[in-house]
Amino acid sequence: MAQIEFNKIDKQYDDFNALNDVTFSIEQGEFVFIVGHSGAGKSTLIKLLIREELPDSGTILFEGNDLQKVPYTELSMLRRKIGVVFQDFRLLESRTVYENVAIALEVVEASPEDVKNVVPNALNMVGLAKKADNYPKHLSGGEKQRISIARALAHEPKVLVLDEPTGMIDPDAAEDILKILYKINSLGTTIIMTTHNEQLVDKSKKRVIRIEKGKVVSDKKGGKYRA
Amino acid sequence: MHKEIKRALDNIKKEKFLSLSNILVMTVTFLVLGMFVIVISLTQTAIRYLESQAQITVFFKDDFTQDNILTIKNKYEMDNRIDIINYVSKDEAFRIFSEINKDEPVLLESISASILPASLEIKTKNIKHLSTLAEEFIHLDGVEDVRFFKDVIEKFKFWSSVFYLGGFTLLAVFMFISYSIIMYTLKATINAKGVELSILKLVGASDTYVKNPFVYQGMMFGFISSGIAGILILLLSIVVTISGSLKNGILLGFIYGFSIHPIVFALVLSVLLMAFGGYLGYLGSSIAVKKYLKY
Repeated sequence: MAQIEFNKIDKQYDDFNALNDVTFSIEQGEFVFIVGHSGAGKSTLIKLLIREELPDSGTILFEGNDLQKVPYTELSMLRRKIGVVFQDFRLLESRTVYENVAIALEVVEASPEDVKNVVPNALNMVGLAKKADNYPKHLSGGEKQRISIARALAHEPKVLVLDEPTGMIDPDAAEDILKILYKINSLGTTIIMTTHNEQLVDKSKKRVIRIEKGKVVSDKKGGKYRA
Repeated sequence: MHKEIKRALDNIKKEKFLSLSNILVMTVTFLVLGMFVIVISLTQTAIRYLESQAQITVFFKDDFTQDNILTIKNKYEMDNRIDIINYVSKDEAFRIFSEINKDEPVLLESISASILPASLEIKTKNIKHLSTLAEEFIHLDGVEDVRFFKDVIEKFKFWSSVFYLGGFTLLAVFMFISYSIIMYTLKATINAKGVELSILKLVGASDTYVKNPFVYQGMMFGFISSGIAGILILLLSIVVTISGSLKNGILLGFIYGFSIHPIVFALVLSVLLMAFGGYLGYLGSSIAVKKYLKY
C-alpha cells in the first residue's frame, strides 16, 4: 500500500480548473519533486494533501485513510504526521529560534522534558544549534527556512511537504537546504517538494512529477526538470 | 483550563497597552450603556409619577345620600383598576373651596357647604382606565357629573406609550451598538495576532488550544470593564442617595407599584452589566477567532 494516493482528483476555483483528473501515488521514504509553471496546480496539490482544501471529486488516501473523511477534530493529528514548510517561512518574529521550534511541541502540550530533548535535536539536524537564542530578524533567508524545517520536524512527521522552500533564498542556501532534506529523507521521512529550481531538481536525480494546466504530464524516477 | 487561563494572562501581559486600551474602550461602552439604562428608568419613574397624579372626579346630586355614595365607594374599592378612591363630603368640599379662595371673602360669603356637591376622587393604576371608568360612573344613579381632563390624559397616554416603547427600542439599539463596539475591539486584538494563530494551526495546534486563551481573555476584558463601569454607577447611586434625591426609590414603569432603592438598583444593574460583559467577551472572542480555525 502506497503511503499517499491521489485518485482522479479534480479541483476547480470558479472558472479556473486547478487540477484535472490527477492520479499518482507516493511510497513511504520517497523523495519527490513536483514541478511546473506558476499556476500549474502545484500549490493546490499541497493544500489538498494537508487538507487545507478539499477536492471537488476523487479521493486522496494517506496511509490508507481517505483524507476527506478525516473528522475536523482529528485534523490537528493529521497535521502532526505531515509537516509543512512554506516559501515565506511563517516564523514568529517575536520568538527566538529555539522558541519557534518549541512552539510545535507546546501546541500539543508536550512535557518540558520532551521539548528539551526534541528541539536541540531538530536544530542540530538543520545546523542551527548555535543560533538557538537568536531572533529570526537577525538570520538570513536560508537560515529562516531551516528553522521552518526544524519546526516541521519537531513532531517527527512521516511526510515533509515543502512548497517552494528555496523560492526566497540564494542558490548556495538552496543547496544547503537540499542537503538537509537528503539527510531527513535518509532517516525514512517522505519528502514532497514543489519547486521552480531547475538546477536542484536536475542535480538530485529524484522522482519528478510535472504538472501542466492542472494535469500530470510526466512522472519519472531520476527525472529532470524539463523531461 | 489552568494553562489556558495562564496563556490568556500572558497574552494580556505581553500586549499591555493594547489590553489597556481595550479595557478602556469597553469600560466607556458599558458605562454609557449603564447610564442609558438609568436615564430610561428615571424617565419611566417620572412617567409613573405623572400617571399617578391623573384622576377623575365624580360629583353626586344633592339628594343622593352619603350612605349611597359610600356604597359605591366600597364597591369600587374592590376594583383592581383603581388605585385610590376618596370620598369628599359637601363640608370637605367647602373646606377645600375656602382654602383655595381664602383671598376672596366676597365669593366665600355667597357660597355655603350645601351648594357644593359631594364627590369621589378616583386615581387608577393605569391611566388607560380613566376613560372607561368615567363612562361607567356617568351612567350610575345619583351621579351629576364626571370630570377629568380627557384631552390632556389622551395626549399623555400617547406620549407615555411613545416613551415606553421608544425607551426600550433605544435600549435595544444601544445594546446592539455596545455589542458591535466590543466585537470590533476584540476582533482588533485577535487580528493583531492573526499570523501567530495561523502558524499555530499550521504546526498542529487543536482548535481549543488556539481558541480558549482568547475566549478567556475576552471574558476577562468583559468582566473587568463592566466591573469598573458597575463600580462607577454604584458610586453615583451612593451620591444620589446621600443627596436625598429619589427618596421614594426608582419606579419601574413596566411593573406596577414596584419601586427600588437607588443603591439596590445600581447593584442589580452592575451585576447585569458584568454578566452581559462576560457574555459579550466570550461571544466576541469566539466569533473573532473563528476565521483562524478554518485552516
